Amino acid sequence: MTITEALKIAQSAPRGARSFAVTLACGFTPLHLQTFLAAHLQQALPDRKVAISSGLYGNLAGTLEAISDAALPDGLVIVLEWADLDARLDYRSAGAWSLSAEDDIVASARAVLERIAAALVRIPSGPRVALALPTLPLPPLFHTPGWQASAQQMLLQSDVTRLAAELAQDGRVAIIDMQRLAEESPAAERLDLKGDLYTGLPYSVQHADKLASPLARALVPPAPKKGVITDLDDTLWSGIAGEVGPDAVTWDLASHTHLHALYQKLLASLAECGTLIAVASKNDPAVVEIAFQRKDLLLHPRQVFPIEVHWQAKSGSVSRILETWNIAADSVIFVDDSPMELAEVAAAHPAIECVLFPKDDYNACLRMLRHLRERCGKERVSTDDAVRLDSIRQSAVFREQASSGAAPESFLQQVGAVVTFDFAAGDQPRVLELVNKTNQFNLNGRRYTEADWRKLLAASGTVLVAVSYEDKFGPLGTIAVAAGDLREQILWVETWVMSCRAFARRIEHQTLKVLFETTDAREIAFDFTPTAKNGPLRDFFASLLGEEPQSQFRLTRSQFDATCPALYHEVREMRRAEAHG
Amino acid sequence: MDETQQRLANCFQVVFPDLTPDAIPNASTAKVAAWDFVAALTLMNVVEEEFGLQMDLDDLTHLDSFENLYSYLRKRLQAA
Repeated sequence: MTITEALKIAQSAPRGARSFAVTLACGFTPLHLQTFLAAHLQQALPDRKVAISSGLYGNLAGTLEAISDAALPDGLVIVLEWADLDARLDYRSAGAWSLSAEDDIVASARAVLERIAAALVRIPSGPRVALALPTLPLPPLFHTPGWQASAQQMLLQSDVTRLAAELAQDGRVAIIDMQRLAEESPAAERLDLKGDLYTGLPYSVQHADKLASPLARALVPPAPKKGVITDLDDTLWSGIAGEVGPDAVTWDLASHTHLHALYQKLLASLAECGTLIAVASKNDPAVVEIAFQRKDLLLHPRQVFPIEVHWQAKSGSVSRILETWNIAADSVIFVDDSPMELAEVAAAHPAIECVLFPKDDYNACLRMLRHLRERCGKERVSTDDAVRLDSIRQSAVFREQASSGAAPESFLQQVGAVVTFDFAAGDQPRVLELVNKTNQFNLNGRRYTEADWRKLLAASGTVLVAVSYEDKFGPLGTIAVAAGDLREQILWVETWVMSCRAFARRIEHQTLKVLFETTDAREIAFDFTPTAKNGPLRDFFASLLGEEPQSQFRLTRSQFDATCPALYHEVREMRRAEAHG
Repeated sequence: MDETQQRLANCFQVVFPDLTPDAIPNASTAKVAAWDFVAALTLMNVVEEEFGLQMDLDDLTHLDSFENLYSYLRKRLQAA
């Protein structure tokens, strides 16, 4: 990105857009860093107006200490440099580079780091915080020759790393990966010494851009991909199972096919974190079944669902997998070693991301593995992530039995459904995640930053309920969230989402019933906006109203009671008293 | 306006979006309140990107008006 492009992007915010306020805490003139940060954030939040305020020059800790409840930003970016820890580490300083100063620099840096840590602890929870550790080279002030690190240098680095590790463990601060940054912005090209000495602007233009990009992503993380669909032969393993036999395909060091083991390990790790994994392979199902019984597979078969194995087009397999998962193609990556298969799938599903498995190119394969982690990686893994695949598998059984076996009414009666309403779950990460990633059953498509969400939760009169579901097929986890506020016996619902996995169980009816009963509302006013994807919710509303709503509307208790079908759930309520004081 | 002036005016428009097109040829640090040190540095970088040249921070103090920047650019472009 050039500065010209960054300025144009930063100026592209819609007129009257809601502000997204960011405090940029750094000890130097942030000029280009601020420009690029504004641009990257504006790209991530096109409906908002990004406004960045920088702190006091040369006083990073003071900037953090000045942040108060009264003026809490939506995001906080901390860019630490060595000069912030001791003035003698600042190229602009006249402080002596003496041997006797080395230990003192370490001691004073430690004191500043403690001050920064204390200031961060005092900042109320709410804004997302991104932290970059020092990116510029230390001045050549230590006594060792340049190729050798001095003990003092190592102490400085370990103190900074320890602080970052503590903050990362705490979970409130996203730490920029400095190794990754080094690949994007080589160390030797970061410092603009003339700029620093003339203007207090130490970053080269390129470095400012390369650092701003992950900082923006740390504040406004992109939604991770939800699923990976993988080929088998020469992708999940080396060899063609139908030709060499299921026992002769390999993924080990001795066969020089360990790249496939790494791929299996990555998929297993992604599955453990809630990414859905499925197979689309042109193969003999009986052969694949035997291969999947092998004990040395590093991706366990229970981590994979569904498995589409036949000789028909893979685009058809992908369609069925997407239908089973009930997610859109743009949330999925398809991996195959054949460019032709990738092209066939891409033609049928233009939104899917197709990734070549480069089986003969080790460096390209490593890049691919890292790319998959980058696209699917998660900041936190919730308990709902762990049950996602099982719940989809169980949903498939549910749908199959509901449509083929007994009549739907009696089927619903005998599934043993339990719906749990938690009225104090607003601060659980899964709740905001669900609000921000649900499309089909979504009241208005509105997305929230963490700061927006916390403001909504903190507002007086807010009613929020998180809904979980389980039946004899197993738990679905937290599958719905509704939030609004109660005024004069009208519940104004601003947000209502439900996972597509939970469709066809009348959970949406039960949710409205519980909301009417627990709030004693006469009416529920829905802040409804039709979107390109929320057709299922429109259909549900049409079943209650007799026609599709086009915008905001109200539903009376009697309207609901007249149209609500029989509900067979056992209803459990949690923390209602806690939420309502 | 010749082509260089037009391209320079585009740079001014990016850095000073509130400046009207008519005011740009007469812009100077004295007349444009937003033209502070930070804006001067930004303008320098935008001009570098537009014209594909490297400018020296030492020149910054002399480049205090549209006219001076235009003269500077003409010399640099002719020399190239």
